[in-house]
Amino acid sequence: MASKFWSNQADSETESDVSDHEEDYENEGQDDANVPDPNKYRIGDSDSDDSEVKRVVKPLKDKRFEELSMTIEQMKNAMKINDWVSLQESFDKINRQLEKVMRVTESDRAPNSYIKALVMLEDFLNQAMGNKEAKRKMSSSNAKAMNAMRQKLKKNNKMYEDLISKCRENPESFKDQEEADEDDVDDGFSSVSTEPSIEDTLSDVDVIDVNQLVWTTMMNKKDKLIEKQFKDPSQVTWDTVNKKYKEVRAARGRKGTGKLEPVEQLTFLTKVAKTPAQKLQILFTLVSAQFDVNPGLNGHMPINVWKKCVQNMLVILDILEQYPNILVDDTVEPDENETEKGTDYNETIRIRGNLSAFLEMIDAEFFKSLQCIDPHTRDYVERLQDEPLFFVLAQNVQSYLERVGDHKAAAKAALKLVELVYYKPQEVYGAMRNMADQSDDNIEESRTESKAFVNTPEVVPRKPSFPTSSRELMDMLVSFIYAHGDERTKARAMLCDIYHRAVSDEFSTARDLLLMSHLQDSVQHMDISTQTLFNRSMAQLGLCAFRAGLISEGHGCLSELYSGGRVKELLAQGVSQSRYHEKTPEQELLEKRRQLPYHMHINLELLESVHLICAMLLEVPNMAANIHDARRKVISKTLRRLLEINNRQTFTGPPENVRDHIMAATRALSKGDFQTSFNVINSLDVWKLLKNRESVLEMLKNKIKEEALRTYLFTYSSSFESLKLEQLSKMFDLSESQTHCVVSKMMINEELHASWDQPTRCIVFREAEHSRLQALAFQLTEKLLVLAESNERATEARFGGGGGGLESLSSRRREGQDYASVAGGSKWQDNMSYSQGRQQSGYGGGRSYGPGQSYQNRADQSRGGYQSTRYGGLEARGGQMDGSNRMVSLNRATRV
Amino acid sequence: MAMSKYDLTPRIAPNLDRHLVFPLLEFTQERQLYPNDQILKAKIELLNNTNMVDYAMDIHKSLYHTEDVPQDMVDRRVEVVARLKSLEEAAAPLVTFLQNPNAVQELRADKQYNLQMLNERYQIGTEQIEALYQYAKFQFECGNYSGAADYLYQYRALCTNAERSLSALWGKLAAEILMQNWDIALDELSRLKEIIDSKNFASSLNQVQSRIWLMHWSLFIFFNHDNGRTQIIDLFNQDKYLNAIQTNAPHLLRYLATAFIVNKKRRPQFKEFIKVIQQEQHSFSDPITEFLACVYVNFDFDGAQKKMKECEDVIMNDPFLGKRVEESNYTVVPLKDEFLENARLFIFETYCRIHERIDMGVLAEKLNLNYEDAERWILNLIRTSKLDAKINTQTGTVVMEPIHPNVYEQLIDHTKGLSGRTYKLVSQLMEHGQAQAAR
Repeated sequence: MASKFWSNQADSETESDVSDHEEDYENEGQDDANVPDPNKYRIGDSDSDDSEVKRVVKPLKDKRFEELSMTIEQMKNAMKINDWVSLQESFDKINRQLEKVMRVTESDRAPNSYIKALVMLEDFLNQAMGNKEAKRKMSSSNAKAMNAMRQKLKKNNKMYEDLISKCRENPESFKDQEEADEDDVDDGFSSVSTEPSIEDTLSDVDVIDVNQLVWTTMMNKKDKLIEKQFKDPSQVTWDTVNKKYKEVRAARGRKGTGKLEPVEQLTFLTKVAKTPAQKLQILFTLVSAQFDVNPGLNGHMPINVWKKCVQNMLVILDILEQYPNILVDDTVEPDENETEKGTDYNETIRIRGNLSAFLEMIDAEFFKSLQCIDPHTRDYVERLQDEPLFFVLAQNVQSYLERVGDHKAAAKAALKLVELVYYKPQEVYGAMRNMADQSDDNIEESRTESKAFVNTPEVVPRKPSFPTSSRELMDMLVSFIYAHGDERTKARAMLCDIYHRAVSDEFSTARDLLLMSHLQDSVQHMDISTQTLFNRSMAQLGLCAFRAGLISEGHGCLSELYSGGRVKELLAQGVSQSRYHEKTPEQELLEKRRQLPYHMHINLELLESVHLICAMLLEVPNMAANIHDARRKVISKTLRRLLEINNRQTFTGPPENVRDHIMAATRALSKGDFQTSFNVINSLDVWKLLKNRESVLEMLKNKIKEEALRTYLFTYSSSFESLKLEQLSKMFDLSESQTHCVVSKMMINEELHASWDQPTRCIVFREAEHSRLQALAFQLTEKLLVLAESNERATEARFGGGGGGLESLSSRRREGQDYASVAGGSKWQDNMSYSQGRQQSGYGGGRSYGPGQSYQNRADQSRGGYQSTRYGGLEARGGQMDGSNRMVSLNRATRV
Repeated sequence: MAMSKYDLTPRIAPNLDRHLVFPLLEFTQERQLYPNDQILKAKIELLNNTNMVDYAMDIHKSLYHTEDVPQDMVDRRVEVVARLKSLEEAAAPLVTFLQNPNAVQELRADKQYNLQMLNERYQIGTEQIEALYQYAKFQFECGNYSGAADYLYQYRALCTNAERSLSALWGKLAAEILMQNWDIALDELSRLKEIIDSKNFASSLNQVQSRIWLMHWSLFIFFNHDNGRTQIIDLFNQDKYLNAIQTNAPHLLRYLATAFIVNKKRRPQFKEFIKVIQQEQHSFSDPITEFLACVYVNFDFDGAQKKMKECEDVIMNDPFLGKRVEESNYTVVPLKDEFLENARLFIFETYCRIHERIDMGVLAEKLNLNYEDAERWILNLIRTSKLDAKINTQTGTVVMEPIHPNVYEQLIDHTKGLSGRTYKLVSQLMEHGQAQAAR
C-alpha cells in the first residue's frame, strides 16, 4: 500500500533535486515547519533504502518517534470504535512519550505528528460531543472517560494553541512534515496517513507575513518556474500572462492546491500584467483567492491577508478610476480576449466582477475577526484600528458606484459606512477621526507596490474623509440610502439612524422616526441581524428616554426586551444558558456567528438597572394604589416577580448585584423613604457610564421623591382627614409648587379622593369607599360586560367582518361608552368637563375600580402590546405606537 | 424685536402662494413687527416673480424715496404687457365664446359633448382651452383675481387633464381668498380637500405636502368665515391632517389650540389634543400651547396666568388671529376677547375641580378680575348652573359642592348598554342564519 501510495506522486518534477537536499536530511527532526523547501523529504520516498542508513545514525531519536507514532495509531484505532477509556490511556501515554521525544530532539517545539494528533483528537471530541444521540448510548465509564478527556485535552491544548491553529490553517505543511517524519522512522508507518494526496509543493506556514518584497525569497518551486518564465520583462507578452492566469485560475480550488499558492502566484502576475484590464482581471481573481484563505466558516481571514486584500481592492479602484472605459459587471460573460485591449483602447472594456460583493465579504471578515479575537487583548484594539482602512475602502467603493450610476449598490456600500458609525457617540467618533488622520503614515508604508508593468498611481484617496460631527456623516449617508437603497438597506439605515439619534440624546426625533417608519410592524419578517438591530435600537431608545426623564417611555421601550429573560440573545451580546431548552450544536454555532463584537455592546448592567428603575418608579405607586387587588393592573411583571422572590427570602443581605440594589430601593420606596431609595440606587456603579451623570441622577432623585409622595398618599390617605401642603413638601423635600402639581394631578385623575382647601392650603380627603355589597355589584357588572364583549368577539371571529359586523360592533362599543359617560355625568360634564379620564371613570367613581378604565385596557391589549402610561405616553400618536414595543423574539426564528 | 418673537410669518409664508403672502406682509407692516424697509424689500422680492410690475415700481419708489425705477423693472413691464397681448390673442376665441350668453347656453353637463361641440362649431380645440388656462394664470399673476377666478372656473368645466384641473382649483382658491369671497372659497376648499384625500398621489410625501398647503391656505378662510372655528377643528384634527401637522408644520398647532380654546363644543377631542401638544413641545411651543400645558398638565395656575398675558400679545400680532373689526369708533379684536374669556374659564374650571374651598380674593386675582367682577362672574356661573357651588360672603370664599356620583346610578349606567348590545348580537346571528338558509 505504501509503495503504491508513494508512487502516485512520483510524477512530480522534483526528482532531479533530490540529491541537493540529502545533507539537510539529518537535522530535519529538529526542523520546524518553516523550512521552505519540501524537496528534501522527497528522498525518503524515492529511495526508501537510504533511510535505513539514516536510522542507524540516530537510533534513539527514531525510536522515540516510532513510539509516538505507534501511540497515535492506537489512538486512531480507539477512535474508530469510540473507546474513550483506551483513548484516554493512550493520551496519557503520548504525553509521556512527548517529553522523551522533546528531550531527545532537544527542541522546544512539539513534533508535528503530535500536533496533528491533537488536532485530530480535538475534532473527534467535538464531533462526539455534538452527537447527542451517540452520547446517550455510551456506557457510563466511557462517558466519564470522554468527559475527563475533554478536560485534559482542553488543558493540554492550551500549551500548543498557536501550533494547532497553524496546523488547522495549513494542514498541508504539517502533513508533509509528518509524512516525512514517519517515513524517516519507518516506511511501514506511512500507511498511517489517512489522506492519500500529498502535494509536492509546500506552502509556507508563515507566508501570511510575507510582504510582497520578500516574496521571491520564499518562493517555492512552481513559483520559481513562473519566475523563470517571466524573468525577462521584455519577453513577457499578454498571451503568456493570460495563459498563466488561466492555469492558476483553473488550479484554484482543486484538490491539492494550497490555499495560499494561487494568492502568491496571482500577486506575482499582477506585477507582470500587460494591460490595465488584465491587471484588473487578475486582481479580481486575486481578491477572491484571498477570501479562500479563510480557514472555515467560523474562523476569520488572517488579518494580514485581510489588509492586503483591502489594498488590492484599492488598487482595483485606482485602475477603474484611471481608466473610466473599463466597466465592471457580473452579469455578462466578457469576451475571452477583452483584457488584451491596452491603455490606448477607448471603447468600453468589460471585466467580470462585483465590487459591492467584495466589499460585503471584506466587511464580513472584519466583523468575524472582531468576533473571534478576545476583546480584552491588545490584538483587539489593534484590529479595531483597521476600521478607518475599511472606511476608506467603503467610501471609495461608494463613490465609484455612484459615479457609474449603480445607486443601489452604492447605497449598500453607504450602509456599510453607516453600520460602522451608528453606535459611536460623538466622542468615540472624534477619536476614530483623529486616529485615521494619524494612521495615514502607516498606510503609506505598507503600500509598496513597485516594479509593476502597469503602474497604477493612487488616484483614489487613501485616507477616509470624516465630517466633523458624526451626525453630519450619518445624515449624508442615510439620506442617500433613503433615496436609493432597497427595502432592507433602507430599514437598516433607518434603525441605525434611530440608534444614533438615541445615543446622541435626541429622543423625540428618534421616536418620531421609529413611529413614522412603521418598522415595528414589519421587522418580524426581516432577517435576524436586522431584528437584532431593531432590538438594539429599542434598548438605546429606552436608555435615551430615561436620560431625558421620560420614565414611562423608557419602560415601554425596555420592558419587552426583558419580558423573556433573554436579553443577551435579543441583543446578540452573548448566550444565556437555559436549563430547560438545550440547543443543538448547529444552533449554538449559528448563535455564535450572530454575536456582536465587544465594542458594539450595550452595557447590560446599565440597561438592566435602567429598566428596573423605570419599572420601580411606575410600579411602586401603582401597587400602593391597587393594594387590594394586586392583579388588576400590573405594569411590570418582571419587577413584580423579582419582588416576590425577594420577599420570600428570610434574610436579606446587603445588595450585591443590580437586582439586589433595585429591590432594596423598591422596598424603601414603597415605605415612602425616598432618601434610602435614592442612596441605594446612587451606589450602583453603572452610573459612571453615563455622560451627563449629574443631571441624570438629579432627575432620578426628583422622580423618586415624587413617586414616594404618590406612594405615601396612596397608602396613607385613608388615615388622614386633611394634610397640610407645607408638611408634605417638607416631608418629601419637594418645593410646594411641585407638591401641589403632583397632588393636583392625582386629584384630576381621580387617583386620590380629595380636594384642596385653598384658604388653609390643606388637602381634604373624602371618604369614597364602597360598601362590600356595592363593590361586589360592580364586580358583577364588570363581569357581565366582559361576557358581552367576549360574545361579540366570538361572533366577530365567526362571521369575520361580514356585513360590517366588526366595524359596527366596535363602533357601538365606543358609542355605548360615550353614552354611559354622558348619562352618568354631572353638570360639569355636560358642557364643561374636558377630561375623558373623568368620563370614563364617571360611573366607576375612581380609577382604581373604574370598569370603564379596565375595559378600555382590555380592548387595547387585544390589539397588541399596549403600554398603559399615565400621561402622554408613547401611544399618543393616534395609536401608532400600539404594539410598537413588541420585541422581536429570535426564538421563533431559531426554532423554525 | 420682542414683538416679532412669536411671529409665524416666516414659517407660514413658504407654504403659501406668493400673492397670499401679501396680506401677511401688510399685517406685519401695520403692526410694525419688523423695520419698514425690510418689509418693503421683502415685498419687492415677492413681486419680482409676479407680473405686478407697476406695484413693484411703486414700492421701489417709496422704499428708496426716488422717482427712478431700475431699468430691469421697466423692461419687465414691457415684456409682461407683450406677453399679456399674445396670451389674450391665443385665448380670444374661447373668451368671446364664453362672453356670449347665448353661446354659453349651448353647453351641457356632458364634458365630452361640450368639447366636441366647441370643436365643430366654433373651431375651439384643446389648444385654445390650454391658452385659457395660461391666460387665467397670467391674469392671476397680474393681480386681476376676479378675472382669473372666472376663467379658471370655465377652464375647469372644459379641462380633461386631472393634473391641470387640480392646479386650476388651487388657483381658483387663491383668487377667491384674495377677493375675500369666503363662502365660495370654503366650497373650493372642500372640493380641493376631497381631491387630495381621494386622489392617488404619486407619493404619500406629495400628499402630505398638499395637505399642509391646504391647511395653510385654509387659515385665511377659517378665521374670517363665521363658522370657521368649528371647521378648523374638523379639518385640522383629522388624523391624517394632524399627522401632517406633527411631521411638517407644528406651528399650525397654535391655530388649532386657539380654535379649541374659543370653541366650547369640542371638548371630547380636547384631551387628545393636549397630548399632542405635549408631544410636540420640543418642536413647537408658544404662549398659547404653553398655556394649555400649564392648565392641563402641570396645574401651574400662576404660570397659566402669565401665559395668558403673553397670549394676548401673540393674538394681537398674528395676522389670522388678530383680525380687527371696526365698531363705531374703536377697533376691537373679537378673537382676543373671546380667547381671554374662555381661557379664564379654563383656568377656573380646572381650579374648581381640585378645590373644595377657594378664597374669593385669590380667585379674582387668578382670573385677572377685580373682586366685584369676580364675584359677579362666579354668580353668573352658578346661576346658569355651570358651577355647583355656593358663595360664602362671611369668609369671602367659594365652597364647591362635592360631586359624589351615586352608586346606583353608576351601576345602572354600567349595564344600560348591555341589552342593546345583546339584541344587536342576536339580530346579527339571525341575519347570518337566514343568509345561510337562503344559500
